Amino acid sequence: MDFYAFVEGPLTWVAILVFLVGIVVRAIMYYRTSKKTDKLIHKYFSLKWVLATYVKWLFPANVTFKKQPVYFLLVYIFHICLILLPIFAYQHIIMWEMSRFGWSWISLPAGLAQWMTLAVIAIGIYLILRRAILADLRILTTAGDYGLLVVTILPFLTGYFAAHATLGTTGFLAENMQLFHMLSGQLMLILIPFTKLSHMVLFFFSRGATAIEFGRRDYSV
Amino acid sequence: MKHVNRQELVDFLKPRLNARFQTWIEICAHCAICADTCHFYLAHDRNPSMIPAHKARFLNEILKGKAVPDEAYLKKMYETLYYECNMCRRCALYCPFGIDVGLLVSLQRAMLHNVAGLRPAGLEAAIENYRQFGNQMALTEEDWVDTLEWTIEELEDDYPTLEIPIDKQNAKIMYTVNAREPKFYPQDIQEAAIIFNAAQEDWTMPRVGWEDTNLSMFCGDLTTSKKLVENTFRQADKLNAKQVAITE
Repeated sequence: MDFYAFVEGPLTWVAILVFLVGIVVRAIMYYRTSKKTDKLIHKYFSLKWVLATYVKWLFPANVTFKKQPVYFLLVYIFHICLILLPIFAYQHIIMWEMSRFGWSWISLPAGLAQWMTLAVIAIGIYLILRRAILADLRILTTAGDYGLLVVTILPFLTGYFAAHATLGTTGFLAENMQLFHMLSGQLMLILIPFTKLSHMVLFFFSRGATAIEFGRRDYSV
Repeated sequence: MKHVNRQELVDFLKPRLNARFQTWIEICAHCAICADTCHFYLAHDRNPSMIPAHKARFLNEILKGKAVPDEAYLKKMYETLYYECNMCRRCALYCPFGIDVGLLVSLQRAMLHNVAGLRPAGLEAAIENYRQFGNQMALTEEDWVDTLEWTIEELEDDYPTLEIPIDKQNAKIMYTVNAREPKFYPQDIQEAAIIFNAAQEDWTMPRVGWEDTNLSMFCGDLTTSKKLVENTFRQADKLNAKQVAITE
């Protein structure tokens, strides 16, 4: 098996499995630890406050959005594209159709997907620059923050290059763009459960726990 | 200053890192959204080192082995935790992840108190008084009962029938106060007594367990905190009071 086939086959499955098992394990770990250490959250658990807080923060219906609407709009777009593109890009769905599962589902129009990809790249770069320039962000920023932003943008950048042959068709980079795309995507998937990117699942626990505590005291959730 | 090694700090933190704390210090995106929700940040001309998220940094530094807890480090930690945050938790209302820096500061203060023996001098004196006398103003039981008695005597002309029932059994309300009241502001107790009497409430003030401040919580001295709460509730149980009311 050559390297390309290895990356396209086994490594892809490994990455997807690490990602899926990883986030499930993180969720279970939070639940089990909190049962022992955060008894109040369980004692006062209220689906009402939890759902209210998800609606408030997953949609721009919160105090923070009002405070910085432009920044937050960009961050919302960034996240929406980040989640939808890997699932609904037609190039990916073709791969699922050809896989042993033979699955298929509706895809994003190619033109829209292209703009969404550019949005992720552009907003990602904006987030990096902001981090490098603004004093408030610089004092908080660690090397890992830059690293994860790069890890997050790379699959989209390489995906765009691969889909549109932006860098031409010859040369080491251009010829292997598909490979770089897969590798960067796998890197991101594998890192999600082990880094800050785990907020993908832990957001729901963190937000929910605070909402339970604030909700029962009649604060804003 | 007491010599501290990093492992002692880690050993203190590990069993106290509940699921929320662990998650918060891991997923904080360092987005700085909390910056201008903090009055310290605004009052210091938007000084970036006053950003709430920045005040939780010691936890990660200590747990990940990046901190060398020498005198300068402990001093920096002390100043940040006591003079740059009063745990108002306003930032938590604005954090998209719901991260409560107030609680993280509280945890770090507890670490300073319990491991490094650091806390403000005023707090230290209050805690000493709590331990010895059960109240922050070092009043003895005799001082206390005496104060209640003369404080009512003073009102004799205007309110001849006024009284403060001390340790009355089966009262509906057991009224507790801030120890500063008997010490400096006995008129507050007089006013409360006037209101209770006018409202014809079934009330009492206890001989012990009457202190309702709990300043030891501010430095995470939970042993003393627990003792104070126990004092009050033990007395309420003993008197079979239905409710415990605290001063305004």
